[in-house]
Amino acid sequence: MHDPEANTRKPMNREAMKHELMAGPAAPVVIVGAGHSGVAVAAGLRARGWEGGILLLEAEKGTPYERPPLSKELLKDGAPDESAVLRKEKFYQDKRIDRVAGIAVDSVDRAGRTVLLSDGSRRDYHRLVIATGSRARALTVPGAALPGVQALRTRDDALELKRLLVAGARVAIIGAGYIGLEVAAAAAAKGCEVTVLEFQDRVMSRVTSAPVSHHFEQLHQRHGVRFVFSAAVTDIEGDHRAERVVTADGHVFQADVVLAGIGVVPNQELAAEAGLECRDGILVDGHGVTSDPAIYATGDVTRFTSPIDGASQRLECIQNAQAQADRVAAHITGQPAAVPEIPWFWTVQHGVRLQTAGVRRPDDDVIVRGNPAGGSFSVVYLRDGRVAAVDTIGGLADFRPARKLIARGDRMDPALAADPRVPLTEATLTGAVLNAPAPIHADPATARS
Amino acid sequence: MSNNKLTVIDREGSTHRLEWEPDQTLMEALRDNDLPVLASCGGTASCATCHVFLEREAFDTLGERSEDELELLVEAEGYQACGSRLSCQLDFSRELNGITVTLAPED
Ligand SMILES: Cc1cc2nc3c(=O)[nH]c(=O)nc-3n(C[C@H](O)[C@H](O)[C@H](O)COP(=O)(O)OP(=O)(O)OC[C@H]3O[C@@H](n4cnc5c(N)ncnc54)[C@H](O)[C@@H]3O)c2cc1C
Ligand code: FES
Repeated sequence: MHDPEANTRKPMNREAMKHELMAGPAAPVVIVGAGHSGVAVAAGLRARGWEGGILLLEAEKGTPYERPPLSKELLKDGAPDESAVLRKEKFYQDKRIDRVAGIAVDSVDRAGRTVLLSDGSRRDYHRLVIATGSRARALTVPGAALPGVQALRTRDDALELKRLLVAGARVAIIGAGYIGLEVAAAAAAKGCEVTVLEFQDRVMSRVTSAPVSHHFEQLHQRHGVRFVFSAAVTDIEGDHRAERVVTADGHVFQADVVLAGIGVVPNQELAAEAGLECRDGILVDGHGVTSDPAIYATGDVTRFTSPIDGASQRLECIQNAQAQADRVAAHITGQPAAVPEIPWFWTVQHGVRLQTAGVRRPDDDVIVRGNPAGGSFSVVYLRDGRVAAVDTIGGLADFRPARKLIARGDRMDPALAADPRVPLTEATLTGAVLNAPAPIHADPATARS
Repeated sequence: MSNNKLTVIDREGSTHRLEWEPDQTLMEALRDNDLPVLASCGGTASCATCHVFLEREAFDTLGERSEDELELLVEAEGYQACGSRLSCQLDFSRELNGITVTLAPED
């Protein structure tokens, strides 16, 4: 990867620098993609005092909107057919954020510092920010293009899905990840007959441990959702629409609606074709700078080194989309960025919230805290004795303490961490000393050793 | 409906006066006026980055906090039993005209 220091500005009189930066150059900061991250860059630039032009280019029409509700609130019966907008129209006017909506950016001319739009027009940039997000991974089996087979990424996808999810409809969901399960919950609530087909042997296996998976499996089953594990879908059959899903072991599942929730792929083509370094994501440094110092990337589309544990990662969550956007805005305006935040994620299924702080790995030690049968518990993931991640289920009491502990890297006492009566912040090894019964007749001389 | 007036004390102790529009939650009014409210969950009571302190009088006019809101707040920096709220959970209301809101410290 490129040298992250290469584009650090030369020291300059602070005021002069500030003036030059804030007055803004002739060409605007051009942001490609008005999703969570792109909009946050635009807002962040203004909040940080950027006076130059800001141009937000988006392939989709309409006002930029929130994605999380697409698989949650929006699908509910009686909910309005729209997703909450990220910012009201007036905000963009007030903040002088120019927008083009409904025209995709086709290519980047780095030498000329200009982007080419699909309508043939060009826009010059001072700095370019690529915030193109990710797209739903496409199902590639025969029949995947039949009507009735849906993915879920955009507002239009969600509205189409909502139309299809009617009481009595047989819904086959391929993939038991967050999105598949959120849709399963919404469909079950609408009286659909829901079958989830999952290649692994439990739900959400990529992101959580077996106790959490099993808790959510039971929750879904209580709401009538059926699971088929170790299922490899090989075909979708039907004359004019999807009617059946076939798995490798020869099972056939009747279906009126098929939802594929099999992960996402970063929209990195724009960057890759312009010669920017990409490896399953556009490579960026801690400021969001790509291998071209005039070009930034942020959000789902990026791959970067975790400031917490040094792992190369791509994060697909709102928290990261916003935090990275702020770092980009800070760097463009020459200001210090906030301390890196512990990544976190949430999902809501059948009204039960799973919220995760940190990024779990499969070989972390798993400590269940509390009783899953009671509906509310946490799972602490220890790596080398330190908290790497925490799942909270049906309650948020451990969520903020978890983020603190991950950031501090405290060593934990596994027995205390497993005891929900001990606050998580006191389940550290130093906490263990404090919590241990006071020794009788303690000798001050030996107590210190 | 006309806007509410709002006084905001930021984390550095500076005072800001702003307008709170009827179609905004308190979080949106703060965020859209460039106050440093990250609102990383988009207003779904998940992140607590929109934590504010209200004056007792204003606090008492409001309804109960939901369980999620309370659990997040109790663990938050500087939690006040009779002052802490997640601003994303507060819809516009005439009763809140003229209040003073203090941004809670970040943790
Ligand atoms: C249904 C659903 C539910 C989710 N729920 C949660 C949740 O509960 N919690 C959570 O943390 N995360 C959730 N996520 C993930 C979260 O939405 C993403 O992490 C977030 O949207 C990433 O923001 P982004 O700006 O990087 O990308 P996006 O929001 O995807 O925005 C990218 C934008 O770029 C545009 N674009 C792409 N290419 C071009 C081009 N060439 N020219 C112009 N425009 C272009 C796209 O049209 C898109 O609008 C969910 C995602 C989905 C789909
Ligand atoms: S914006 Fe996240 S809790 Fe209010």
